[in-house]
Amino acid sequence: METVRPTAELLDRIRAALRGRTAAEPGLPYVSSRERPPERGRQETIDQFRRRFEELGGIFLAGPPEERALQALGETLRIEGVSALFYPEGDPAARAVADALVPFGPFLLVSPADVLRADPPVSAGIQSAEYAIAETGTLVQTSREGRSQLPGLVSDVHVALLSPDRFVEAMEECLGTLSGDPPRNVSLITGPSRTADIELTLTVGVHGPRKVIAVLLGGG
Amino acid sequence: MEPRTRHFFRSAEKALADHALQVALSRTTAKFLENRAAAVAGYPGFEGARERASRIRQEALDNLDAHLARFLTEARKAGAVVHAARDGREAREIAVGIARDEGVSLAVKGKSMVAEEVGLNGALEAAGIEVVETDLGEYIVQLAGESPSHIIAPAIHKTREEVSRLFEEKLGEPYAEEIGELTRIVRRRLREQFLSAQMGISGANFLCADTGSVVLVTNEGNGRMATTLPRVHLVIAGIDKVIPRLADLPVLLRLIPRSATGQSLSSYVTILTGTRRPGDAEGPEKLHIILLDNGRTGILQGKYREILKCVRCGACLNICPVFQSVGGHAYGWVYPGPLGSVLAPLLLGLPESSPLPDASTLCGACAEVCPVKIPLPEMLVELRADGRAQGLKPPAEVLGMKAYAAMMSRGGILEAFQRIAGVVSQLLFKDGRVRWLPFGLSGWTERRDLPAPAPQPFRKLWKKQRGIRPWKR
Repeated sequence: METVRPTAELLDRIRAALRGRTAAEPGLPYVSSRERPPERGRQETIDQFRRRFEELGGIFLAGPPEERALQALGETLRIEGVSALFYPEGDPAARAVADALVPFGPFLLVSPADVLRADPPVSAGIQSAEYAIAETGTLVQTSREGRSQLPGLVSDVHVALLSPDRFVEAMEECLGTLSGDPPRNVSLITGPSRTADIELTLTVGVHGPRKVIAVLLGGG
Repeated sequence: MEPRTRHFFRSAEKALADHALQVALSRTTAKFLENRAAAVAGYPGFEGARERASRIRQEALDNLDAHLARFLTEARKAGAVVHAARDGREAREIAVGIARDEGVSLAVKGKSMVAEEVGLNGALEAAGIEVVETDLGEYIVQLAGESPSHIIAPAIHKTREEVSRLFEEKLGEPYAEEIGELTRIVRRRLREQFLSAQMGISGANFLCADTGSVVLVTNEGNGRMATTLPRVHLVIAGIDKVIPRLADLPVLLRLIPRSATGQSLSSYVTILTGTRRPGDAEGPEKLHIILLDNGRTGILQGKYREILKCVRCGACLNICPVFQSVGGHAYGWVYPGPLGSVLAPLLLGLPESSPLPDASTLCGACAEVCPVKIPLPEMLVELRADGRAQGLKPPAEVLGMKAYAAMMSRGGILEAFQRIAGVVSQLLFKDGRVRWLPFGLSGWTERRDLPAPAPQPFRKLWKKQRGIRPWKR
């Protein structure tokens, strides 16, 4: 399909419209100054993330000992009525957690494909998150190195695994590392899937997870 | 969508008499305002961020040729096919062409005002392609055969009772007034569509020039589903959506959700760059981006360029006393509220929408909340002047305004008039209310009383009491 000619024409029209431009010179870089995030130690950053995350209705679980965090996770999943667990390929930490959760079940370990059905089981999708942004209580999941979006997309409960080195203070730190050549999909996930489309009444779990759980492993 | 912008006053009257609509509006607008106020109060950097966001958007527009050219290059490099549509008809033709070429019979769609602007669904359906809206509000509106009444809460005009009856009637679901249950019905019904659709359609909140990325800001997760699961992703976006850099996003992302829904960040921000790459776990194989002009280059050229800074947060709708009273449908097109009263006349032409700039009290609240500092009231006044210059005002109004201006700009005449009015007033309106005015002015007194002119004009009182300082009394 020929697309080059119309887009070139569009640029010509814009150029003509901007003739006699007033404000900035063409190509003049405008650098958006950013607010300085507060200087914090790692533990404070984690605490800040936890506060924001819990404000959004998220459940934050942390060791030590890790067994206790996992036990709490298992109980929460049972309360949420979860019957199936899935994790993406190539995520050994998620796999280990899923295996460790089975005794707290009954949980069935399934593949992502089993959840991609018209009538899926009530599922928890477990995945190692790439970043946790303290400013907003946000989890970041990209498509880098074959990572999947499904655990935080099609599940009923999203379980994000974090280690202390994944926490950043503000959005800039995370987007800064991604902006040179961004992966195909960069998703910032802040709380559960929600809507207020009927009478502006907050309702969770529209198309995505109704519950988001962050589990901090490896100290913290 | 056929514009009904010309009929604003008639539609507004109907809206005011619509009881269900008034219930729905009263349940929602106050909540919008409370949520926003709380979110702004919780973010001390809000004012500074507004200034920065305004400059980012202004810079994008002032150099739109360079930024859009960069976007084209980067998006194509990442595998996107970029199309340019001069108007709605071209956009529809391109979209139908894409759907046919890609063998699409079912498309799932996220909320897009630009798609409404060009009537995308109708064109695809006419070509035999089923389009399913997946945003809850849009889904409701589509089922009801209506159009959105708010740019971020499309079904805001409907009560939960009406939604329950709609689902009962159109879907055969049992009547369930509870909002959680209504939401579960939609989740269940749409999951199947997400999985079987060949194409996902979305708008764009931003297009990043330096990376060729499409940015979507959503809450429900439908946008992520529609842009991850189907084989083809079709983006339709106005050329005004470009921002210079991906790194500009944090500033804008801190403002939009707070202004729109009072969230510190929307549930999902998805930054999509190109097509599925080797080794990717999922994602569309094809990405088509339609860049829509539809009058925007014309706006760019003139004195209303700043309206293109708009990020469609809806804050100016919620705060507007006119919108609060009549809702979105009365404005007669895709964009309601103060934003729509400026944008619709510019996109459709003033003759088509001349009442809209008058649909404002010029109270200025919209400009105060706008996260990118668009001078909406000034633009409304300017558009009124344009309307007059184009001969769109009734001669009586023009004459009346001339007389008014002549009187108000001459102190002596004003005072004489006020004195006469004072004497007449004391004779005619003993209780201080004007209850009836003759033809031409009766529009006011049919619904409310007018305070009668005071016996003594203010200027006279001021002269008499000069020297008295009440605060020292």
